[in-house]
Amino acid sequence: MEALVKLSFYCFTAATISLALSALAYVGFAVARIRIRQTSLTTPQGQTFTATTAEYGVGYEGLGRFGSLLLWFTVVFAALAILLRGLAADRVPISNMYEFSMAFVFTASLFYAAVERKYEVKHLGAIVVPIALGMAIYVWTLPARLREVDDLIPALQYNTLMTAHVSSAILAYATFAVSFAAAVLFLINQKRRVSWLPSPEMLDDIAYRSVTIGFPMLSLVLVLGSIWAYRAWGTYWSWDPKETSALFTWLVYAVYLHTRSLRGWRGQRSAIILLLGFAATIFTYYGNYFFGGLHAYGGV
Amino acid sequence: MAELTIPQTMTPKRHPGEIAIDRVWRFFCSVRAAVWEVSVLAVMVLIGTLRGSSVPNTIGELLPFTQPLVDRWYAYDIFKSLPFAGLLALLSIAIAVCTINRVPGIWSSITDPTVVTSRGFIASADVSATITPATGADDVTGLLRAHLKARRYRVVEQELNGDTHLYADKNRFGKLGTFPFHLALIMVLVGGIVGARYGFRDDEFIVAEGSTEQLLNGTSLSVRLEDFQDSYNPLGAPMEYRSDLVLYDGDEEVKRQSITVNNPMTYDSVVFYQTSFGPAVSLIVTDLSGTVVYDGTVPLGRYTAKENPDAPAGVLDLPNIGQRLIVVGPDANPAIDPEKDTLGLLSGELHLQLRDTTTAGTAPAQTGTVAVGDGATIGGYTVTFVRDRQWTMLQVASNPGIPIFWAAAFMMIGGLGIVFYFPHRRIRGIVSSASGPQEIQLAALAKRDWSAKRSFEQLIEDIDRELPVTTRITRRDGDARERPAALVSA
Repeated sequence: MEALVKLSFYCFTAATISLALSALAYVGFAVARIRIRQTSLTTPQGQTFTATTAEYGVGYEGLGRFGSLLLWFTVVFAALAILLRGLAADRVPISNMYEFSMAFVFTASLFYAAVERKYEVKHLGAIVVPIALGMAIYVWTLPARLREVDDLIPALQYNTLMTAHVSSAILAYATFAVSFAAAVLFLINQKRRVSWLPSPEMLDDIAYRSVTIGFPMLSLVLVLGSIWAYRAWGTYWSWDPKETSALFTWLVYAVYLHTRSLRGWRGQRSAIILLLGFAATIFTYYGNYFFGGLHAYGGV
Repeated sequence: MAELTIPQTMTPKRHPGEIAIDRVWRFFCSVRAAVWEVSVLAVMVLIGTLRGSSVPNTIGELLPFTQPLVDRWYAYDIFKSLPFAGLLALLSIAIAVCTINRVPGIWSSITDPTVVTSRGFIASADVSATITPATGADDVTGLLRAHLKARRYRVVEQELNGDTHLYADKNRFGKLGTFPFHLALIMVLVGGIVGARYGFRDDEFIVAEGSTEQLLNGTSLSVRLEDFQDSYNPLGAPMEYRSDLVLYDGDEEVKRQSITVNNPMTYDSVVFYQTSFGPAVSLIVTDLSGTVVYDGTVPLGRYTAKENPDAPAGVLDLPNIGQRLIVVGPDANPAIDPEKDTLGLLSGELHLQLRDTTTAGTAPAQTGTVAVGDGATIGGYTVTFVRDRQWTMLQVASNPGIPIFWAAAFMMIGGLGIVFYFPHRRIRGIVSSASGPQEIQLAALAKRDWSAKRSFEQLIEDIDRELPVTTRITRRDGDARERPAALVSA
C-alpha cells in the first residue's frame, strides 16, 4: 500500500511536469505568433528612420501540437496517479483537498483536450492549461500528511454518494474553467480584431456548451449534496456557507443561461457573467479556507 | 411606403385595470425581469454566504469606517429575512406565470408547426444553402428526406403555388424540458415550507443503553438503545459510531435497526440519525424494604457538578419517591486542574448525592461513594452501581416535505438534461416549381447556435458528395469570414 501511494505520487509529479511544459507550449502558441520587425531606412540626406512593424505570422503550429501531446501525457499520468491511489485506499480517491485537486487536474485536462479535438482550436489551452497547472501547483503546497491514505471520518463514509457528489463537482468545475477561457477569448476577440483567434461565434458556442454540461452537473452536486446531507445530518439544506456559495455559483450560471436569449445582454455581458461565475467557482472550491461549517474537513 | 391610417374604431378602448393586469403579466413573463430577479437573489445569497466567513471582518479591518456595517452584516441572517422570502415568492410567481404563458405556443409549434416560408426568410437566415440539381429535383428531395430521417428529423411538406415548402425539425419535445425544471424550483420551495410547517425535529434526543425514551412530538413512539459501540483505528481516529435501536409504537415493537452516521433509521416519515454519544452508568435504587424504585441507565456528561467541573455528571429524577439523585463520575483527565477536583474519585467509582425534592432544597444532600459492582446506602436508599454503559444522542426528524423535494430533484436534473442534450433543431426550405428553374433552397433556424450551423453545413456537404448537384452555402453571420463563405462544387 505504501508503495502504491508513493508510485501514485511519482505519477502526479510526472503529470505536473508535463502540464507545466504543456502550459508553456500553449501560451507560446497563442501569443508568440506576433513577430516584431524593425526596419532601418536611411535617407539620401543621411537621416535614419527606424520603422517597427508587428506581424502575425504563421509558424508556431508545432508548439500547439507539442502542447496537445504534453497535455495527453498529463491526462495519462494523472489518471495513473488517481488509479494507484484508489487501489491503495480501496475507494475512489476524492475525499481531501489533495485528492480532489488531483482529480480536478485530470478532469480539466481531459475535458479541455476533448473540446480541442471537437472544435479544432488550440488557443483556449493558453488559459485552461495554466489554470490546471495552478491547481497542480496548489497540490504541492498542501501539507505532506494529506498525501498519506487515511481512513475516512464517519460523516464521509458514504462511498457511492460521496463519489457521485464530488465527481460531479469536479466535472462542473472543469467545464466552467473551459467556459471561462472561452469567455476571456471572446472578450478579447469580440470585435474580430485579433485575426488569429477563433471567431466569437465559435467561442460563444464553446462557452455555452461547456456550461450546458457544467450547469446540470452543478445542479447534481446540489441535489446529491442534499441527499447526503439528509442522510448524514438529518436536513437536506442547512444554509451552510459551502452550500450557499455553491448555490451562488449556480445562480450566476442561471443568469448566464437566461441572458443568452436577451438582446443587450448576449455577447459581452454574457461573457462577463461567465468570468464572474468562474470567480464564484474558485471561491466555492477554496471555501474551506474562509468558512467553518459542515464542510470543514478535507485537511485544510 | 404607403401611408396607413388606422381608424379610431379599430382600436378598442381598454379598461385601465386591464392595462395594469397586462403590464403585471408581462413583467412576470419577461426574461429581462427574471435576469434581474435572479441576479438580486444571487447577491443576497452571496451576502448570506460571506456572513459565514471571515471576509466581512477583513473588509472591516481594511476599511475601519465600514465596521458598523460589518457588525450588522454578521448580525443579519438574510436567509431568514422578509426580503429574501419575498424575492423567492416573486420568482415562484414569475415561473408559474411564465409557464402558463409559454405552454400553448410551444405546444402548437410542436404539434402544428408553420410549414410555409418565404424566399426572403431563407435569404436573410444566418446560414442558408441553394442546391441546383443536375437531373431532377426529385432525386435531391428524396436524398434530403432520407438524410433528414437518418438524422432523426421530422419532415413536413406543403404545396403552395406549385412550390413545395418544407419544414424539418428534431427534438421538438426537448423544449418542454424547461417546464419540469422550472416547476421543480417551485416544488423545492413548497417542500421546504411543508417541512417547516408540518415537520418536527429534536436535535438532542438522548437514550442510554438499556433504557427506553419517549419521543416528545405527540406520537406514541419510543426508542430503546440496546447497545452502543464506538470503534477507532490504531491512530485513534474514529471509525464508526453504532447504535442498536428498537422502536416501539405504544407497547408494540415496530422496528429494530443498527444505525451509524450515514445510515439512519426511518419509520413512516420519522428518521433517526446518529449524532453523538457519551458515558452512562447502570444503576439500581432500592428502598430499605428491598423494593426496587429505579433500575436503568443514567447518562453522564450532560451536566457538570461543582464538586468537580471537569468530571461527567448526570441527574436522575425519582418523582415516585420525591428524590433527585445526582451522579458524578471520575475525572477522565485528573492531571488537568487537579485543584478543582474535590472528590478524588478513582476509576470505577461514582459520587452520589441524594436530594429531597419535596422540601425545595432546604434539607442538605446526602452523599456517598460507590464502586462498580457495589452498593452504597444513602438517605435510606441503596444505590447499586451495576456497570459502566454509554448513551447515544440521536437527531430525530420528521419532514413530510422530503418526497416533494425528491420529486423536484428528479424533475430538475431530468429537465435540464432534456433541454441541453436534445436541442430543438429546425430547417426550412422551398423546392421550386417543376416548370421554372429547378432549385432547392434551405435555411437553418440557428441564430447564435454555432453547432446547429455546423450540422446544417454537414448535411448539405453530404448531399453534395452523393449527387451530381451544385450547392452553395451562404453564411451571413460573422463566422462566414473564417470558413469558406461559399462552397461550390460541380
